Amino acid sequence: MLKVENLHKSYQVGKNTYEVLKGVSLNVEQGEFVAVMGPSGSGKTTLLNCISCYIPADSGSIRLGGTELARLGEDELAEVRNRKLGFVFQDFLLLDGLTVEQNILLPAIIGGSVSADVENRASQLCEVFGIAAIKGKYPAEISGGEKQRTAVARALINNPLVILADEPTGNLDSKSSRAVIGTFEQAKSGLGSTIFMVTHDSFAASFCDRVIILRDGVVWRTLEKRDAERTAFQDALLASISEMGRQ
Amino acid sequence: MRSFYEVCAVLRRRNAKQYALLAGCCFFSVLLITAYVCMMRSPTVLSVLPEGGDSRKQVMMIFVLAVIGCAVFTTYAAGLFLRQRSRELGIFMALGASRAQVRGVLQRELAGVSVISCVLGAALGMPLAWALWSLFRTFLVDTQEMALRFDYRAYILSAIFSLFVILTTLSLGARSVRRTNIIDIVHEQHRSEPVREVPRRWGAIGIVLVLVGVFLGYMSSNFFILVLHWYPPEGLSAVFYAPALVGLYMLLLHTVVNGWGGRRRKYRDLISTSMMKFQGRQTVRNMLVITVLVAGAYFGSFYIPMIGTGAMMRYDAREYDYLYFHRADQDIPGEDEVRALAREYGVEITSFAEASTALLAVDGTHTVEVDGPMGVTWYPEYIEVFTAERFLSESDFNALTGQALDVPAGQAAAVLDSDGSTGYGFDTGISIVTNYLTGERLDVTPYQGAALRYQSLAQHYVLDDADFELITRGLTDEWREHKVVFNVENDEQTYDFAKALFNEIVDRSGPEVEVYDSWDPVIRDRNLAEDGYYFLDRESLEEAGEVTIDYTQRDSSNFRLSWKYMPQFRVLDKADFVKTTAVYLMLFVFVAIVCFSAVMVIAYTRCMTIALTNRQVYEDLRRLGAPGKYLYRSVRGQVKRVFFVPIFTGTLIIYVFYLMIMYFNGSPAGITGDEAAGLLASIGVIAGVSALLYGIYRLTLGKVCSSLSVKRRT
Repeated sequence: MLKVENLHKSYQVGKNTYEVLKGVSLNVEQGEFVAVMGPSGSGKTTLLNCISCYIPADSGSIRLGGTELARLGEDELAEVRNRKLGFVFQDFLLLDGLTVEQNILLPAIIGGSVSADVENRASQLCEVFGIAAIKGKYPAEISGGEKQRTAVARALINNPLVILADEPTGNLDSKSSRAVIGTFEQAKSGLGSTIFMVTHDSFAASFCDRVIILRDGVVWRTLEKRDAERTAFQDALLASISEMGRQ
Repeated sequence: MRSFYEVCAVLRRRNAKQYALLAGCCFFSVLLITAYVCMMRSPTVLSVLPEGGDSRKQVMMIFVLAVIGCAVFTTYAAGLFLRQRSRELGIFMALGASRAQVRGVLQRELAGVSVISCVLGAALGMPLAWALWSLFRTFLVDTQEMALRFDYRAYILSAIFSLFVILTTLSLGARSVRRTNIIDIVHEQHRSEPVREVPRRWGAIGIVLVLVGVFLGYMSSNFFILVLHWYPPEGLSAVFYAPALVGLYMLLLHTVVNGWGGRRRKYRDLISTSMMKFQGRQTVRNMLVITVLVAGAYFGSFYIPMIGTGAMMRYDAREYDYLYFHRADQDIPGEDEVRALAREYGVEITSFAEASTALLAVDGTHTVEVDGPMGVTWYPEYIEVFTAERFLSESDFNALTGQALDVPAGQAAAVLDSDGSTGYGFDTGISIVTNYLTGERLDVTPYQGAALRYQSLAQHYVLDDADFELITRGLTDEWREHKVVFNVENDEQTYDFAKALFNEIVDRSGPEVEVYDSWDPVIRDRNLAEDGYYFLDRESLEEAGEVTIDYTQRDSSNFRLSWKYMPQFRVLDKADFVKTTAVYLMLFVFVAIVCFSAVMVIAYTRCMTIALTNRQVYEDLRRLGAPGKYLYRSVRGQVKRVFFVPIFTGTLIIYVFYLMIMYFNGSPAGITGDEAAGLLASIGVIAGVSALLYGIYRLTLGKVCSSLSVKRRT
């Protein structure tokens, strides 16, 4: 579904060049829920921004559903963002002037494909994620957890190949975080969605099928949950992070 | 809601305030510029301001300042609007909207807002100019000359400015969408505008550069003309003002970033200073615009007290209530007729004296202009028969003044103004006096006695009686003048008599003396011989489309200020001063109103922006336990800085500049009595305007406090 090979990305700050990604390779299968963890500066967000087509990579390959993103022009990339990717941001990025329902419909509106079916899908997503009662409200009138669930519903409205989530629980309390992770689980199990999540939160990551740990711009270790209990998987994650810290 | 267009329409309604602010700024800028340009290009004004004259240059210079100010202001407003909209645009693009899609929506919106507001501003500019002018005419002064006419070609300039506003807005919009990194666009609203570290010495260097720039700018044209003998191209002197602008920027930057409080107030002003820092560039740019506009506005405002006070002092310094003079071949009322007219008006004449003056040629230095590869240069050329000047015999001088002057033979005593200044072009060191008709020549040296100061006879020469008799022998009446002076009882109450006598003199003057005061028979002959025409002859003036001296326009400023034989009746001059100079006065009042309005709107908008962008900071400070008093002091610190720093700086700079002009414009350099009085009166203007600006500051402070929910304290 998503294949990243030998990805490099540097930033120029004044006269200095900082190489943030130093050959990252990873693979995400359809229906998989994958997290990327790592300390600050390890390249998590840069990796996500490259996959999101927000910033161009210096070299390497990103293939999404068999399409090589680096070969696409600006309009085609915009279409990929609209049709094949769904986004969930740490600070929600909902439009304050639109209601919850209108926000959910926004990617479909931008893509010019709003039909009765899409409206029905939006209503279904509201039902599934427990935000049907607030769909006429504006972002300023709802809680952080509700905002993020709205954002997840928005990410799913165009039935994308992959949902990209950047620290989705970063601004939420534990209860809201759990609810948002719940929506991802529902999306995965109920809708067959593929989710690629960047997070600092070992609790959130412990719900994933696989966790990729980045360090200094390279994949340091990949942990697979398989049949392990969530708590055991979280313990394994914490142990790995602790080991990385000792190294 | 199913289309992107509908989404944008919903968001437009939601963000109506942002659109209103942008539209308001564009509208206001175009309105002011249009009103200004309509007034500046009005035939009413152009006929009064001489082509190439200082007044027209001043009005043009202030116009350029106003254009720069309004251009920076609208650019700022467009930038602010785009920052506020950037989050929405970024989200659209992050969710898959193409750049073309976003650009299309944004450009349509920007074009709609800017075009409508510019068209409205341009359409209302002329009515605004007319309304202000009509207010002046209704409440201040109304003369025939003030009937306002517009030249619709003024709209070309207005259209150019409007086009600039529209194109700038659109190009800024296009640039904001062109950014490659969507993440930057999403976070644009929260991006701070850091000012690089500013060394503390920048403040002092800034002050020095401002002073150097102002001095160099003012003195450069004198240097080119007097030292290099070269007439520089228009605008070159403006380049020499550049250090002043750089210095001003450094000065304001230092004030915003470091402040002038020193270490003692470092922590007290920490919050307000740091907030200003993070909007550094925009704040400093706005402050720069305010400073320049304040300077321009005061430059216009000072014109009125300067010429008003100076004129009143000169009228008061006259030794006689009434003085008139005429060419000896004119049939002008003599003593009997004047006394009869006085009786008719119930005016009692307390003293009366008459004297004859002669027009004699004097030597002097002529400037010969040469067209060369570097433009026009000049060299001085001494001419023995240079210009015609007025001469009195010592007896006539004593008869008029009651003095007992004795000028030795072979000397010429130059009469100065009462404050000792010579007046433009009057040479106190002549050495040859020539009878232009007979060619008789008298070699003279300057009078060795005490300098003669006599306001009513200033710019005359006095000769020994025998010399005068000898040199004027053979002069016809065309080269002789008759001077009449008298005083009356209760001068202030004799306006009707003065007006009647003035009309009588004008009615009885012939067309041969219907000329400008600088019309000179000696220069005329030389010009006719060399060039075939004399530019001050009626035919030449009419051919060039210039205003001529016209007896039927005897109450116009042109006639009253420029007729060669204009009587000097104190009561008439004082009473009609405002009327005589009405167009000048009102034009500069208009200019000041336009500039100060721009200052108030820009300062107000900037302060409201600070409130808008710092709302979260004040929320955080509240959460950190900051008391209301602290919050108020912080808000006040910022509003104060936006208002006070540029207004104070602009006022100070222009006052120093004016002082410098006054000091260097006379010969010898120095401040004369009437200039000092004018400068004092200008301080009165500053006090009045400052009070008004303080009122706007208080109003703005209240608005900012209420928008941040900070309680205002006294």
